[in-house]
Formats: sequence, C-alpha cells, structure tokens
Amino acid sequence: MIELGVFGLGIWSPGFSNWQQFSTGLSKGDWLSGGSIQAVQAPIGELRRAPQSVKMAVEVMRQACEMASANPADVAVVFSSSMGDMQISDYLCHTLSKTPRLVSPTRFHNSVHNAPTGYWSIATQSYAPASAISAYSHTAPMAFLEAAIQAFEEDRQVLLVTQEGSAVPALRVSCPSNQPFSSAFLLAPLDASSSPKAIIRLSVARESVDWPELPRELQQDFLGNPGARLLPLLSVLALNESQEGRSTHNETGSNSEGWAHLEFPLSSNLCLKLSLISEPGPS
Amino acid sequence: MRLAISSYTATSAAGIGLSAMANSIASRSSGLRPNDLPECDLLTWIGRVPSVEDTCLPHHLEHLQSRNNQLAWLGLQQDGFLDTLNQLIERLGADRIGVVMGTSTSSIGRTEEAYARLEQSALMPEAYRQPEVHNLHSPGLFVAQATGLKGPSMTISTACSSSAKVFASAARWIQHGLVDAVLLGGVDSLCLSILYGFNSLELISPDPCRPFDVRRNGISIGEAAGFAVITRADLAPESKFELLGYGESSDAYHMSHPHPEGKGAVLAIDRALKRAQLSAQAIDYINLHGTASRANDLVETYALAQCFTDRTLASSTKGWMGHTLGAAGILEAIITLQAMANDLVPGTLNCDVPDPEFRFPILQSNVVQSIQYAMTNSFGFGGNNATLVFGRIHD
Repeated sequence: MIELGVFGLGIWSPGFSNWQQFSTGLSKGDWLSGGSIQAVQAPIGELRRAPQSVKMAVEVMRQACEMASANPADVAVVFSSSMGDMQISDYLCHTLSKTPRLVSPTRFHNSVHNAPTGYWSIATQSYAPASAISAYSHTAPMAFLEAAIQAFEEDRQVLLVTQEGSAVPALRVSCPSNQPFSSAFLLAPLDASSSPKAIIRLSVARESVDWPELPRELQQDFLGNPGARLLPLLSVLALNESQEGRSTHNETGSNSEGWAHLEFPLSSNLCLKLSLISEPGPS
Repeated sequence: MRLAISSYTATSAAGIGLSAMANSIASRSSGLRPNDLPECDLLTWIGRVPSVEDTCLPHHLEHLQSRNNQLAWLGLQQDGFLDTLNQLIERLGADRIGVVMGTSTSSIGRTEEAYARLEQSALMPEAYRQPEVHNLHSPGLFVAQATGLKGPSMTISTACSSSAKVFASAARWIQHGLVDAVLLGGVDSLCLSILYGFNSLELISPDPCRPFDVRRNGISIGEAAGFAVITRADLAPESKFELLGYGESSDAYHMSHPHPEGKGAVLAIDRALKRAQLSAQAIDYINLHGTASRANDLVETYALAQCFTDRTLASSTKGWMGHTLGAAGILEAIITLQAMANDLVPGTLNCDVPDPEFRFPILQSNVVQSIQYAMTNSFGFGGNNATLVFGRIHD
C-alpha cells in the first residue's frame, strides 16, 4: 500500500485544453469544439517540428508542473501509451509497403515510444530518468502503478503521462480510439510541509474488476481510448473542486477510509485500488 | 534488499542459447552475415537468427504470430529456462511473479506485413487482425501467455535502453513487495522499419560493424531475445549473481545524437555506482554500448574517461551479433554475467585499430580474468540512458 500526493494535473483533448476547461466542462457541460494542439503553450523551438503526440504530452506535462510549482528538471517521467504514435506507425508501414522505400529520418527518430520524454528532456534541460511503457488495454492503470512505485521507492517526484491519439483505420483492430487524449499527474511522497491537491492511497488486489464508467458525456469520444481510462479518477478530482462536486462525493459516502474509491483492472485477475483519503487543499 | 539473478538465457546471431554464444565469443566468430532479409535490398550486414521463421508457435499462442514473438518463443526454449521458471511458479505462485519486457519495435514487422496486404477498405486482412500483436505490449502479452505468469505485466520501450531499464523497474517492484520475482527481458527482431529507418539516418554500415575502430562507419542491425529471472535473494539461495545497482538518466541534448561530452552517460554510470555503493575503481569490466556509430563510440570513451581509470576493462560485443536495439540491454547484461561465470572477458570483435581520438583504452582481445563487479551501458534515441551493475555472490 502506498500513500502519495497528487501535486499537479494536466489534461488535453480537442474538447478541453487544460484543467480549468475540463472542470468547467464536467460541471456545466460546456466543452470546446475542435481545439487544436497547435495552440499549446509548451516551450517552442525544439518542438516546432515535433509530432502531435509529442506536443500533447509536453503540454500536459507543462500544465502539471505549473500547477505543482515543480521545476520540470527535477521530475522523473513515466510516459505511457498503448500504441505509441499511430500516425507515424501508419506512415512508416505505408511507406515501406511500396518502393522506393524512402523513410523520413525525422519521422523515424520521432517513432520511438520515448519521443515525448526525449523532447521534454531537451525542452526543460532535464537529466532525470525517463521511461515509456505500454500495457496494451491496461496501459493507464499499469503506468499509474509504475509511476507510484517509482515515486515511493526512489522518494522523488514522478510525472506520469497517460495518452493515446485517435486511431488510423488499419490499427483500429488493436485500438478503437476516436479522439486524442492526454493527461498528466505529478505524484510525490507526502511530507509534513507538502500541500498536495489530493492524497491517494493505492494498493493492488487479486480481484477481477470491470472498468469504472466514464462520465456519460465523454463516453462516445473516449471509450475506446486506452490513455483515457483514468478519466473517472480525473473527474472525481475535478468535481471535488466545485461545490456541486462536494455534495456529490458526500452522497456517495464520505468516511474515514476515504471519500472516493475507484478500482481499475490491471489484467484479467489483478486490480488497482485507489482511495482519495482527504480533501484537497485550496487550489 | 538483495536482488539475485536466479536464471537467464539469450538468443542472438551469436548463438541460440548460452553455450552456443559462449563458443562464438571464445572462438571470436561473428554471427553477422550479408543482408538476406526478404523484401530488404539494403547493402549492409545483419545479425539474423537463422531459425526464427521456422519456429512454430504452439496452438494456444498462434493468435500472437509475429517474427518478434517467434523469436521470443525460440529464446524461451533454451537453457532449460522454462523448466526453472515452472519450479519457481510452483514455489511462489504465478501471481507473485511479474513480467517486465523491453522492446524498441515490438511486433511492427507483422504490422508491416499487414500493410503490404491492406484491403480496399484500408483494413487488415483477416489473418492479420491480431489485436494483441499490433501494439507495443506485444512482447509482454506473449511472454505472460507463454509462461502462464499472472503478476503485473508491462513493456518498456525507450529505444535502445529498453531492456536495461527493465532491471530498474523490476528491482523497484520487488523492493516494494508488489511481487517476489520478475521475469524480465527484451525482444527485438529484424524488420523493414528499423533497417530503412536507420538507413535514412545514414547510420548503418555496408560492412560488418567495427565498434571503436578508427574506420568504423556505422552499425549492423541485429535481433535478439534475452530473459532473466530476478528475485529476492533469500528466495534463490543458489544464485551466483546479483543486481547491485541501476542508473537511469536523460541527455537533454538531441533526439538521435548523444550528448557531445557524454553528460547523460556519466550521470547514468554515477547513479548506478551510487546505488551499488561501489567506487568506479571497483568495477572490473564494462560491457559498453559501443554501437560502431562515429558519434556513440567517441562520446562513450569521453564518459568512461570521466569516471574510470584504465584498470577497468571495457569492450563492445556488438561485432558478434550487431546492435539488437531494444534487446541489447538484456543481451549485454547476460554477456556480462557469462563473462563473470566463465572468467572470460570478451574483447571487441572487429576493432583492429582503435580511434586515436578516444580518451579511454578499449579491450580488443579476449582476456581470461576473474570478475567481481561488472557494469553494462545502454543508450537510446531520445537521449535515454541506463547503466547496470552486477556482482558475484560469495558462497
């Protein structure tokens, strides 16, 4: 069992470009239409030629660090996506299916799964450890567990990214993702002086569980997106910031064991249990 | 907590299984061959494992058909690895053993084949509609299903450091008590994306690669599958080697070019030594990343010169099987363990004249020597570095 603080959050999708817009959307049903990642405030320069997958990731990482007032160069990174950049895989496989097989060198080096952490490291001058993982349909909760264990065992801030782009037709067989989505969590162990936005207690159980339901208005866009599987957690955190949210979680049972509980499958026989165990501080 | 390496196996162009690889290394015979990969017309040498395409997956794994998973299956059959694993499963339980695999390209070779046969609707033909194959976790899914392991499972993909970083994640999982043991490893197989991709970057050699030689002119691409079981030392008292340290870092410099002074490499080495509580002086042997690219080899000697004295032997073994990318970390970890087991330090095959620009001496010939502490370096695109330290366990 681990107790960790969530110190920062970041989120991006065409319908909400930051945490505030996501919270507003959830509480008022007021979503953006067709936001563009070109508008991100991420450091430019190095990122100008980066693919959308990198821009999305760097944007949510920047947001989470900003919310946490964390120095980006101090945080280890765990990036996660089930498929990696499907646009680049699609480009490579199409290009290689005909002759001459002329591959773009830039797209090739951008095809590595850790491209977002590479660009992040360059943009923020961070020499911190960076990982990039996949666990197929269980990628997001597995990455949360991996990041939490790293934060706890290494006693350091870890920035987790869960994301997936929208699927290209041929790869929908593995990933029927309709809309791009990216989210970031800045996790760190608790100490006396820290003031996290939320405190999460997490454990792994030998239980088979179903995925928690996504908020109804987000289901059509994100049901097939493995990077968006933690949306129920993000929603609880966002709604808790508003008055309506406070009454919601009171109705669902606030008690000494925590005011919200969520279970995510890690496989067919294991689950990740998350409990939010105290009110987040004022934002 | 002490972490033992209780079993391991490796398959590459240098040999299928440990004894074949040991013979290749002792006799200094390379497994590199002129490129004969079907559909690939590049003038280069490759480290192809000859029997991969003839390896049949058992019926219950047929839905995971890909060259990468065939190579994984071939690798798992060697050195009694599965028998030893089954004994461990009986003792600990399948859900107390995790799976952490490393790969650069997963099963993208199979995806390439599907794209060459796309239907009018832009969909894959029926035989290629394999959800668990066309994703980055394909090696982790395959290994879990092939072994029956039920613990947490993930795949790390950080280019050429992937299967070195699996040791760091596995160590944290065990230290935390998430699991008692982890089956870790790496599998990467030859595919068009990698060959034409590295060709586009002008990084592949038309000749067999010559790590650290003054005439080195690029890498040879290889394929490999390597596996190890790492466990709490008290659960595997017969183990001969332990993982003492790991160091991870980023370069903060360039997506496909190493930091010019090797800053990220030095940080990875320092962090690994610190965790191992060893001085650089204590390291007897380092298996280098040593790809035979102009930049990597030069910069790696800069990093070595900042950390070590010449009492430490250092060599690259990529002349035997080429650069096996996401499998290089585990493969070279196993080569390092084998060097300790056999008291035979491999030299650098195909390095005839070391580059005078180097700031650290490179071991060219094999040397008979006992090793107490050894290290291995893995550096990947995106400036992603990992260094591991292993030690011999005394009776």
